[in-house]
Amino acid sequence: MCKDVNEYLAKLKKELEGCDSALLQDALSDAEGHLRMALEEALSGKPKLSETEVIVSLIEKYGSPKEIASAYRAIESRTSPTLAVSRTKKTQSSWARFFGVLTEPKAWGAFFYMLLSFITGLVFGGWALFAGLISLCTLVFIIGIPLFGLFLLSIRGIALLEGRIVEALLGIRMPRRSLFLDSNLSWKDMFMALIKESYTWKALLYAVLQFPLGLIYSLGILFLFATSLSFIGSPVLELVFHIPLDLFGDDVFTPVWFLPIVCIAGFFLLPLTFHLARWVGKVHGKYAKSMLVRA
Amino acid sequence: MSTFTDANKKFQKELNSGTAALVLLSILARADEPMYGYRIAKFMEVDEENVPMMKQGALYPVLRSLEGSGLLESHVDPSVSGPPRRYYKITESGLEILKSWSKIWDQTKSFVDGILKGKADV
Repeated sequence: MCKDVNEYLAKLKKELEGCDSALLQDALSDAEGHLRMALEEALSGKPKLSETEVIVSLIEKYGSPKEIASAYRAIESRTSPTLAVSRTKKTQSSWARFFGVLTEPKAWGAFFYMLLSFITGLVFGGWALFAGLISLCTLVFIIGIPLFGLFLLSIRGIALLEGRIVEALLGIRMPRRSLFLDSNLSWKDMFMALIKESYTWKALLYAVLQFPLGLIYSLGILFLFATSLSFIGSPVLELVFHIPLDLFGDDVFTPVWFLPIVCIAGFFLLPLTFHLARWVGKVHGKYAKSMLVRA
Repeated sequence: MSTFTDANKKFQKELNSGTAALVLLSILARADEPMYGYRIAKFMEVDEENVPMMKQGALYPVLRSLEGSGLLESHVDPSVSGPPRRYYKITESGLEILKSWSKIWDQTKSFVDGILKGKADV
């Protein structure tokens, strides 16, 4: 029998052991939000009642940790992240698997994620660096403390938003619910809770690192994509439109006998680019999950 | 007795897994404004008779699943008195699915009623 909301959450966490960490975070967030609302309603106007006295009936209505864990497991097994599509059939030949990457939503999702990371890296990383530095500098004044607290809260918001992008484009299950701080806590305790939680600092580090990573991802993938397209189109561009290849700033006309080889190289480079994007997407998804999931 | 209760619970659970989504879509289609999970749960508490259809906590994963399928959309608003609330609203495709699921439900209900009330000879 649970004595308070925290004990219920601890039991629910135990029941969901082994589940996806993002699912666990969502389940805990849903339960905490619901039970605290119900508790507040039950205790309003009844100052003599304690949390322990009403929690039993609230849990009876909400469901035991075991029942709720089972409901989440059942639904989760039927709901997959947006781009988590079935794996490539093993019966396909290696050629089909190599070129088939161009038809894979997961590879395209990773490709767009890498392109988008130019903007998200600039915005998230820029905010984390500059707003962080400014709020750190204001810490010498009394007004700096709430400002720094607000900055840390904004980093949590960024973490949730980035999680949604990662899930939509990379197909990695990420939290769908925001974390909240117990509204019964004083401002000082809320600030301390923010500071003490490693999740806040990991999310901040992630946002800062997105700045260089976003630049590397977007410029790298754009370079490979543009190169493969220009290689594929080189016979038409050079022979019909007389546009030379731009090799690191030098305009070069390819010898005619070499053009088919450049064109074929382009046809190989394009799927290679998407294989690379898919691999980067997979690795980045794991990294994002390790940094942006609390539970 | 215990086996009997367990069997009831299992039957209720199996029924719920199919009907919870239909019930939630229907509630949100009738709502004048977006609703958050706790309010939906309270609404079901008032609306239900006899045995509660499902535990309140089991609504949340269903809401999430419906949102993931594009049948609901949601937004988070801060609350003055407690944690931020996620408000759910039915989408256009949610309304279309609700119509088609309601038809399937009517057919199923009439078929099961027909058998239970012995309208057809065995």
